[in-house]
Amino acid sequence: MAATIQSVKARQIFDSRGNPTVEVDVFCSDGTFARAAVPSGASTGVYEALELRDGGSYYLGKGVSKAVNNVNSVIGPALIGKDPTAQTEIDNFMVQQLDGTKNEWGWCKQKLGANAILAVSLAVCKAGASIKRIPLYQHIANLAGNKQLVLPVPAFNVINGGSHAGNKLAMQEFMILPTGAASFKEAMKMGVEVYHHLKSVIKKKYGQDATNVGDEGGFAPNIQENKEGLELLKTAIEKAGYTGKVVIGMDVAASEFYSDKDQTYDLNFKEENNDGSQKISGDSLKNVYKSFVSEYPIVSIEDPFDQDDWVHYAKMTEEIGEQVQIVGDDLLVTNPTRVAKAIKEKSCNALLLKVNQIGSVTESIEAVKMSKRAGWGVMTSHRSGETEDTFIADLAVGLSTGQIKTGAPCRSERLAKYNQLLRIEEELGAIAVYAGAKFRAPVEPY
Amino acid sequence: MSVQEYLEKHLLSRKIEEAVNAAVRAKAPDPVLFIAGHMRRAAPAVITRVRARQILDGHGAPAVEVELHTNKAIHRASAAGSGALEGAAADAAGAAERRKILAKVVADSVRMINDKVSEALVGMDPQEQSQIDQAIMDLNKARHKAELGVGANAMLAVSIAACKAGAAEKEVPLYKHIANLVGKSATTLPVPAITVINGGKHAGNGLPIQEIMILPIGAKNFEEAMQMGSETYHHLKDVILEKYGSDSCNIGDHGGFAPNISSISEGLDLVIAAIERAGYNGRIKLAIDVAATDFCTGKKYDLEFKSTKKSGQNFKTADDMIEIYSQLCSEYPLVSIEQPFDKDDWEHSKKLTTLELCQVAGDDLLMSDPERIKRAVNEYTCNALVLKANQVGTVTEAIEVVKQAKDAHWGVMVSHRSGDTEDSFIADLAVGASAGQIKAGAPCRGECLTNYNQLLRIEGELGSEGVYAGENWRTVNTS
Repeated sequence: MAATIQSVKARQIFDSRGNPTVEVDVFCSDGTFARAAVPSGASTGVYEALELRDGGSYYLGKGVSKAVNNVNSVIGPALIGKDPTAQTEIDNFMVQQLDGTKNEWGWCKQKLGANAILAVSLAVCKAGASIKRIPLYQHIANLAGNKQLVLPVPAFNVINGGSHAGNKLAMQEFMILPTGAASFKEAMKMGVEVYHHLKSVIKKKYGQDATNVGDEGGFAPNIQENKEGLELLKTAIEKAGYTGKVVIGMDVAASEFYSDKDQTYDLNFKEENNDGSQKISGDSLKNVYKSFVSEYPIVSIEDPFDQDDWVHYAKMTEEIGEQVQIVGDDLLVTNPTRVAKAIKEKSCNALLLKVNQIGSVTESIEAVKMSKRAGWGVMTSHRSGETEDTFIADLAVGLSTGQIKTGAPCRSERLAKYNQLLRIEEELGAIAVYAGAKFRAPVEPY
Repeated sequence: MSVQEYLEKHLLSRKIEEAVNAAVRAKAPDPVLFIAGHMRRAAPAVITRVRARQILDGHGAPAVEVELHTNKAIHRASAAGSGALEGAAADAAGAAERRKILAKVVADSVRMINDKVSEALVGMDPQEQSQIDQAIMDLNKARHKAELGVGANAMLAVSIAACKAGAAEKEVPLYKHIANLVGKSATTLPVPAITVINGGKHAGNGLPIQEIMILPIGAKNFEEAMQMGSETYHHLKDVILEKYGSDSCNIGDHGGFAPNISSISEGLDLVIAAIERAGYNGRIKLAIDVAATDFCTGKKYDLEFKSTKKSGQNFKTADDMIEIYSQLCSEYPLVSIEQPFDKDDWEHSKKLTTLELCQVAGDDLLMSDPERIKRAVNEYTCNALVLKANQVGTVTEAIEVVKQAKDAHWGVMVSHRSGDTEDSFIADLAVGASAGQIKAGAPCRGECLTNYNQLLRIEGELGSEGVYAGENWRTVNTS
């Protein structure tokens, strides 16, 4: 007799920024227990599934007691007796029947909250793996139909700007990717060493104050222009001795400094007395990126334009997409409908996979499969508000995304994911395969 | 061995019949699952293997993670890495050299656990914590004699993993198991001492002291304490943003802010402003961790040790410091001062304690060492212990020093370490030992929040049985 869900219980806990988030425990009839907590973002795209917050003054409006109640009173009772290995059935039941709200881009989870639904979806997925007595990553691979597991290249977020940091840097993140490592373990060694060299370089140049960290563990030195960030990275990589083995990625989060009114991008948006003198057109911004790419070993640029600027996305992808991965985050929000549009219009060539943007495991897997069949890269991603939950590490391996972005090698909510990947690689032993230079297409589409 | 002999040797028929009868009595909806569970519980747990690996702590430094295997389950624990490098040799080394030393120490520890520790513990009952810890201590002593390097952190991870295995075998939560090991049945949710401002040698500002913390003593339960703490923390961010600009909102090693301030009063004023904005006047008290050893030179304390342009006015005698602390205690709701003097300045620590102005917590002074605690109790040198489990080395030893402090009517503040991981053992320790206080950093950074989140789960689990230390934060469960 198959094990079934016996009870589902939610509670409010804290994410890594000290904001409330939803955690769910699932108990099954065979004694299986599984727990999951959901992340949340600081720079959320307008097309993301709704994250239900309480509002008011309690926790400065960020409480999630309504979402918790939705799990305990609505979702939980409805799932009792169901088979937790039937992920698709459970996810569709929650998304389409229990919630049922829809917008032009698909199911939007407005009634129960994407944070409520996702927490249950993740916990059910973990429970399903336990019941089948296989590792979570193997369970996810099976759900997706993926036959070959791959350890992802980590994209370490080491310099912060944008909404996540207190400096004047417009671009949100600069990342280092150890594509030249022989294994995930070596990639971690490389990443940690470059990170610490970067810390020394920054300390020398900007003082010890500048070695405090942002939401994702990156440094936020008081640099005045984006190119300076690239220079710092280049220096740190050289000092660590990994030139050619560690390359650079950027997450611009351009929606944050786009002005819809005059269709310009303001690289000076964080300046208090901003006179708008640094506003540039989409074409000019594209040329800035191209000059960066020609001068630095940049292999990935995420969110180079506003989430509705499909035109410039397509231009950029056409012009340099072969040598540089163009990643859609706010553009796609892990939404299959938007992914389909972007594939058709050749707007970008990589998906940023954030499970809480779409709100369920099943939909996340669908978005990944679509991307891979289109020849795209997939970067599994954390959010700036994370917990010690490590689901996305298993997700990156199970779906063989080839890349994972989960912050700097600093702050344990980031390192929890990297540590889990170390465990997975050890567990896989001789059959472990590290994505390395093939991070954009580590396996055949499945 | 014949089938009949096998059945008789293991009393298999009888055991199965007992399980079936139990299922019938319980009218279990799924008898097969019930019987499987019953049979599982009938088999005693035994340690079958101990395996270690290197992982990374909250600073991206190497740390040891241990998996303790029993015949029923695998239990995992990890312990802070960088605390292992205390001492003159480590202090002299530069940052890069320290990282190399740490990597080697961790690698050695991993090998030792996989080899000698595993060999020593295989076959033991995980419920016998003191026996397991004694075996670990014996190995550690032998190791010290062979000068194989510092192993306290690694050994602690083994001890914690065994403690988790023991709790699982008894089918009780970890904190309940710890309470049983302590010899008491009561558990208490601790008052969190929440880091909000960082100074000292690891922060870039001019603040000489290491930490300013808030204690939501006036909360009605732990959940409300965290609500008060996190709201105040976010208001503090706004206060700092307005006054010092956005550069000051990045965080230090324990998740606190490090605004460009240079005096203790300045820091306390910022915190008071945040508490007022959050609306928690009178319900939140303050604490400071001075870490005075870091700026003691000879017998003087250099309050400008981080400044390149010293005024010369801030070299203080220990008596000057007592005057400063007295002033702070009268002007602010300051209720706890940790490590107010150099770790060897027993005399002045005693003077301050004798004034009975606040809790005086010994950190470097005591190092959670039973002999030093005994002396401090006798000499009235301080009145609270900062318990860092990896300073003692095993769960059993940690419990012993808690009892020692409680017997002396001291406060006990269970504390995290710089370089913690995502393991939340200290949360269960604080509850099980009824410490009354826990210091786990800011409501920021996963290695800090993992402990606070675990305390929320424990409080939820205890329900109406949950008791928050609150006003009794210093006196919980003293006998």
